Amino acid sequence: MSLPTAAQWSALLPAMYPALAACVILLMSLDKDQATQKWIRGAMYGTGFLALAGSFFSLAEVWHSGVVTGAYQQMQMDRLGQFGQMFVVVAGALTLLQSWDHFHQEGWVKGETVALLLLSLSGMMVFVSTTHLLVLFLALELFSLPLYALVATVRLRPEASEGGMKYFITGAVAASFFLMGAVLLYGLTGELDLVLIARRIGEHHLGSDPLLLAGGALLILGLLFKLSAAPFHQWTPDAYEAAPAPIAGFMSVATKGVALMALLRAFPGALSGAGLGPKAQSAVAALAVLTLIFGNLSALVQVRVKRMLAYSSIAHAGYLMLGLVAGTPAAHAGMLFYLVVYLAMNLGAFGLLTAWGVVGDKDGFEDLRGLGWRSPLLGLFACLFMLSLAGIPPLGGFYGKYLIFKELVGTGHVGLAIFGVLASLVSVGYYLRLLVALYLQAPTAQQEREAAERPVVRPHLARAALWICAFIVVASGFCQQFLAKDFAGSAATSLAQLR
Amino acid sequence: MTHLLSLLVFIPAVAGLLLLFVPDQFGKAVKGLAFVVALALFALGLAQLLPLRGASGVMLQEQWAWLTIGGLPVDYHLALDGLSFWLVMLTLFLTPLTMLGTWNSLKEKEGRFAALFLLLQSGMLGALLAQDLLFFYLFWEAMLIPMYFMIGVWGGDDRRYAATKFFLFTLSGSLLWLVALLFLAGKAGSFAIAPMTMAAAKLPFGAQCWLFLAFAVAFAIKVPLFPLHTWLPDAHTQAPTAGSVILAGVLLKLGGYGFLRFAVPIFPDAALHYAKPIALLSVIAIIYGALVAMVQRDIKKLVAYSSVSHMGFVMLGVASFTQIGTQGAVLQMLNHGISTGSLFLLVGMIYDRAHTRMIADFGGVASKMPIFTGFFLVVTLSSIGLPLTNGFVGEFLILNGAWTSGAGHWGQTYAAFATLGVLLGAVYMLWMVKRVFWGPENADHDSGTHHLESDLSFREILVMAPMVLFILWMGLRPGHFMAASEAPVVKLLAEAKAPAPHLTPIALATEGEAHAASAHEAPAHGEVEK
Repeated sequence: MSLPTAAQWSALLPAMYPALAACVILLMSLDKDQATQKWIRGAMYGTGFLALAGSFFSLAEVWHSGVVTGAYQQMQMDRLGQFGQMFVVVAGALTLLQSWDHFHQEGWVKGETVALLLLSLSGMMVFVSTTHLLVLFLALELFSLPLYALVATVRLRPEASEGGMKYFITGAVAASFFLMGAVLLYGLTGELDLVLIARRIGEHHLGSDPLLLAGGALLILGLLFKLSAAPFHQWTPDAYEAAPAPIAGFMSVATKGVALMALLRAFPGALSGAGLGPKAQSAVAALAVLTLIFGNLSALVQVRVKRMLAYSSIAHAGYLMLGLVAGTPAAHAGMLFYLVVYLAMNLGAFGLLTAWGVVGDKDGFEDLRGLGWRSPLLGLFACLFMLSLAGIPPLGGFYGKYLIFKELVGTGHVGLAIFGVLASLVSVGYYLRLLVALYLQAPTAQQEREAAERPVVRPHLARAALWICAFIVVASGFCQQFLAKDFAGSAATSLAQLR
Repeated sequence: MTHLLSLLVFIPAVAGLLLLFVPDQFGKAVKGLAFVVALALFALGLAQLLPLRGASGVMLQEQWAWLTIGGLPVDYHLALDGLSFWLVMLTLFLTPLTMLGTWNSLKEKEGRFAALFLLLQSGMLGALLAQDLLFFYLFWEAMLIPMYFMIGVWGGDDRRYAATKFFLFTLSGSLLWLVALLFLAGKAGSFAIAPMTMAAAKLPFGAQCWLFLAFAVAFAIKVPLFPLHTWLPDAHTQAPTAGSVILAGVLLKLGGYGFLRFAVPIFPDAALHYAKPIALLSVIAIIYGALVAMVQRDIKKLVAYSSVSHMGFVMLGVASFTQIGTQGAVLQMLNHGISTGSLFLLVGMIYDRAHTRMIADFGGVASKMPIFTGFFLVVTLSSIGLPLTNGFVGEFLILNGAWTSGAGHWGQTYAAFATLGVLLGAVYMLWMVKRVFWGPENADHDSGTHHLESDLSFREILVMAPMVLFILWMGLRPGHFMAASEAPVVKLLAEAKAPAPHLTPIALATEGEAHAASAHEAPAHGEVEK
């Protein structure tokens, strides 16, 4: 075992910054004065931002220098890994911006939350850049455990610990499934790296071995749980409802994104040659349809924004899985593009709650009546995010769906494409529900009174985060060339190299 | 001006977006500014576009590669030709006129409404000018959003239901259409019409039919063709006056325009195959719309159902696949824009005064508002299709086209039944006029008539006068408005290989009774020809 070279070290740095910063912030949060001294809280958040900025810029440098192979043992800094890390860092930064304001509104600012968020981030960054099952599992636990705690972080709220507990138990079960799958595959082939496993299977003609089928299925199951695909989605609404809005947004975007990228690495990537391809594809198709049905229909009947967004995020997992069914490189690029847009629109949607100063469980549609007129800019953002989520052109969300459906149609899955557009028609119903509340319903007299009495809050950081999200949503609608081709497209090419 | 078309599309978009953010207390100023912008655009259209009306082929065009997404190039391609020329002019004309006509109708957030109106205008112009199908699709969908808010925020009591229904109905058609579009674009490698036509011709006929149906349903919802029309009465009745005018005036036309521009040229064989069913649905729409209009108690709802009936004529003309019928359809779209637009404006004017639209609340309006009655009567006659007004020309051409269409007996039967629609049109309109305007004044002190205190103001006369002018002008000299569409329609029909017009039976029938026997055999002869 030789020590890594300088280039390989620098490829590892992005994932290290947040972990190191998390340790420092944990020390800082020992200070009991953090509740009263704003500068201490500022320093903790500042450290977090600094770490993310460091990650971002060193990632940009790595991206320019090209693919770094064999960075350290099992870490793959290929294009997909770099893309995934960039994705996670941006999601983390936007979440951090929102959470400063949100936790101040809740009156519950703790350094631990920042530290946990950063730890989770660095877990995710490792998770997207490896094909080694053991490293995958460790990274999975590294990013999941902080999230369980983050869901329950505002522990004064009764539903917080309930949601956190539910998430923890179901998550632990799913992780053990994943581990079991890894063990079965190891027992079959004697390898832990997915690429090598695929090679052994090919060499020894193990394609029809039941152990392979069981192992592969358990592995997918663990990932689908994180993706919140039906029928492993039940934890999602409860966990999102319990979690603070920015954390829920982070989970809906980052967890789903990294799970999808791991799925991409495992199935179309490494294991496609192993005889699992067609079986996995039809299983994914069936689950995607199920996910779209459950997600969309349940979202229709929700009365609270966070739960609606939770079910909508389940539905979006369904669209993304349709990309897996199509399975062409263009479809994979489309999925990655969709993920980036989804990051912007979904974090934007959750960020709106913070920008409006929604705390606790005051996130019912009825609580938001007439808000669109009161702050036109936030109203416009809400229109942008909702219409983009619904896939109305010319916003980014339309092109995400467009890319996926186009490949579906091109590969002969016209029925699935029709099902997909019908599902997105249903989704318009619940996205419009929010716009109805914002614009079409006048606030009640009591709401007017309460709004007048409430002190004016200016969540500047959350608004800054919304500006960034809105920019991505609009830009990806009008000049998506860079994002679709140079960024997502080249990330998708590294899947082919895995084979 | 090489970028004239881009300017027409994007000036209202930019102005609308900017004005959308002006706080409510400056509503009046915003309304004024938006009006100035719309008027300036109309002036630009008059000065720059009108001189082009005689040109055959493409009058103005802008094209450059815009983006490549998913391996398919999308062109920024705007073009103005004879098919879209008068519809573009109609859009430019109706927008400022509607703003002026509904100047005092809105009580709150009028500035935002005006801004949305400009955005809507941008969407409509873009859809009328775009030649690349994905580019068209973007405008087609983008139009929904301002209209949704216009109905939903400023509409009547049931506005949320109507707005959501409008949005979902239209979207359902266009989403399915999108799948067809993606399928065909994948085969063609482009979203432009010509490669798509070639790719479609290579597909098996069954696939062509499915794709054509996907196109047709999206456009038929917008038209709206029976039985996809149910969103229209709700949307029209709940929308504020300006929304109804523009909905009837331009938005519905985009359905018919879509057939002529995209659906028929790309799938000529499938379109011919489905011509009879479409014509049948059109005839049903004509008669059904008229019958339902007859029993309405709300004037606005009556006008809305009359729209279903009139747009049925447009679709009948399109489905006739004759030059005379198709050109009639293009003209009828303009007619309907003018006359139904005027009707909605007039209904809005009386509603602003009386705060009711129920026919039973009126009676004897003529003695209270003579000028208003005069305008209403002219527009009514145009809507019925009285000779000398525009409605007559359009309906006559369409009926003529249907009668002589290659469908033989079928075409004649359709024409005969559609003529019944003209008759019913006279019944429901004149009966409504009788109950609202004639007779003694409604004695009830809470009635609508009682609240009519003033006749039309100068502003309202200023709005209605050009409408009446056009009604008569288009009725007396329809050639002015039909010359532009001749070349594109001839080309369209030639490419679609439409069967030759079926003129023989009529020619024989006029020659006297001696040939009556052979006239009876003529349809059979026609069948052989086909």
